[in-house]
Amino acid sequence: MSILHTRNVQKHFTEGRETVTVLRGIDFSVERGEIVSLEGPSGSGKTTFLSILGCILTPTKGDVVIEGQQVAEKNLATIRRRSLGFVFQQFNLFPSLTALENVEYALNVKGMRGSPARVEAQRVIDAVGLGDRQNFLPRDLSGGQKQRVAIARALAGNAPILLADEPTANLDSAVGSQVLDMFRTLAKQENRALVIVTHDPKVRTIADRVAKIQDGALV
Amino acid sequence: MAVDLATKSLLHDKLRFVITVVGVAFAVTLVFVQVGLFLGLMDNASLTIEQIDADLWVTSHNTPNVDFAHAFPETYVKRVRSIPGIARADNLIVWFMNVNLPNGAVEGTEVYALEDFAAWHFPQGVIEGDLADLRRGPYMMLDDSAKKRWGAFGVNDYREVLGRRLKIIGRTVDAKSFTTTPLTFMDLRLAQSLNESDLRGNTTYILVKLAPGADAEKARAEIQRRLPYNDVFTKAEWAKRSRSYWIDSTGLGLNMYITVFLGCLVGIVVVAQTLYTSTMEHIREFGTVKAIGGGNADIYRILGKQATIAAVAGFGLGALQAFALRPVMSKIDLKLIIPTPLYVAVFAGAIALCLAAAMISFRKVASIDPALVFRT
Repeated sequence: MSILHTRNVQKHFTEGRETVTVLRGIDFSVERGEIVSLEGPSGSGKTTFLSILGCILTPTKGDVVIEGQQVAEKNLATIRRRSLGFVFQQFNLFPSLTALENVEYALNVKGMRGSPARVEAQRVIDAVGLGDRQNFLPRDLSGGQKQRVAIARALAGNAPILLADEPTANLDSAVGSQVLDMFRTLAKQENRALVIVTHDPKVRTIADRVAKIQDGALV
Repeated sequence: MAVDLATKSLLHDKLRFVITVVGVAFAVTLVFVQVGLFLGLMDNASLTIEQIDADLWVTSHNTPNVDFAHAFPETYVKRVRSIPGIARADNLIVWFMNVNLPNGAVEGTEVYALEDFAAWHFPQGVIEGDLADLRRGPYMMLDDSAKKRWGAFGVNDYREVLGRRLKIIGRTVDAKSFTTTPLTFMDLRLAQSLNESDLRGNTTYILVKLAPGADAEKARAEIQRRLPYNDVFTKAEWAKRSRSYWIDSTGLGLNMYITVFLGCLVGIVVVAQTLYTSTMEHIREFGTVKAIGGGNADIYRILGKQATIAAVAGFGLGALQAFALRPVMSKIDLKLIIPTPLYVAVFAGAIALCLAAAMISFRKVASIDPALVFRT
């Protein structure tokens, strides 16, 4: 059974008097432990679709079911906390927190505090190979290291679904490959579903499946 | 323990933090100084009333405050003394007189004249001389605050009051009036003889001490019945009336309220502006908080905590500045009275002010779209 699936997801935005249709009825699913690369040209609607999968936006029409639970406006934040981990293109780390604290804070938001949060944060920071940099502020880390902190943050708390938006876009080719390999290894080890929105062809090398989106529909 | 994002984020940008704290401290200092000076002036306005050990004051009708006295027959005191429940009643003259200084200048003095100062425990700050000696001749005691306007003087010096040489036989401290005119203490008969046209056979107040257990209202009503053209006040009423006169007639109260309001306004604008700018600069971080599962409440807590930290630090700095100003003010004869309730009120006010300032950012936070975390 899929851990995440959508049925006939549509999204319209209103701009002035005009209604713009961004998604035209997408049926999509991901299994536990599966890695999916979601590709498409700019403006195809892939980031909007990722936002809907990530419970950041709600669809205008259609259903999203995550871990058997229907997504609705009222439970967006709850599902985000419980089931989802995010990795962003811009890393989006808190600049005033160390690498370890960035991860621990995400756990705090999810409701885990004190020693258990610190232990879990330490575990994932070690898992991404940043044990020796855990007390560094983001400004003192390289791009690849920042992205590894972001991955650690997404992994922390055992969210079963990981969503990544262009995770290699701000990294050079070699570092991007390393990060992807590590991401794949960790996701597979822990049986997490991973959806990566990307332009980067390297992502295909780690994906179990490639989904293409064009003009708001899967092709 | 949770990771303290609010504090770490606030202290991460030290310059902004300093600007915020200085803004709050400015408002706090302004409020302390303005209110403190106001209380100091008001304290002067009723200082002698508070010091004189009288339960009731009989004044001429419509006397606005203790300094601006009007004369009435001194024999009225006998009508008061005969009332049951009154332990003691004495005449008190408060009158402005001119003093010729050795350098040829003429200065004013506010004379307090009684037959027995000791009976009324007044003045309280005698540092040289004996009040009982005032009755023995053309003598006076002077408050040290006169030195600023009259120049140096000492015991056994002479000064000419309304053309008559009086010997200084003692000195006091902390006897002040709102008018800042130096206070002089002398015998009642001497004061009457110095200004016969106004004061001969007259007094300006009757001080009343009630017998233990006497009914103040009953005594007061009886005095009022016997002296229908005078007013009778309790000590508290008379002190309040004297203070209110200066507050109402000089616009001092309004001035204080306006300055306090402006101080608070400046503080709130500085804090609101810095917090709002900070919120705008951290908007992506707040979007991230939402994206990883946090809600508006999590961000409100961050902003609220930052505002509270700024308030506490600003209050500390502001209070310290106000405290440091006290001796400076004292050197220029200004009293800065900061009672504990004022500290508590300003502390609570600073926190309320900063939280109110943070509310402006709350509105922005409520509209943050977490989808912004996907934008480049």
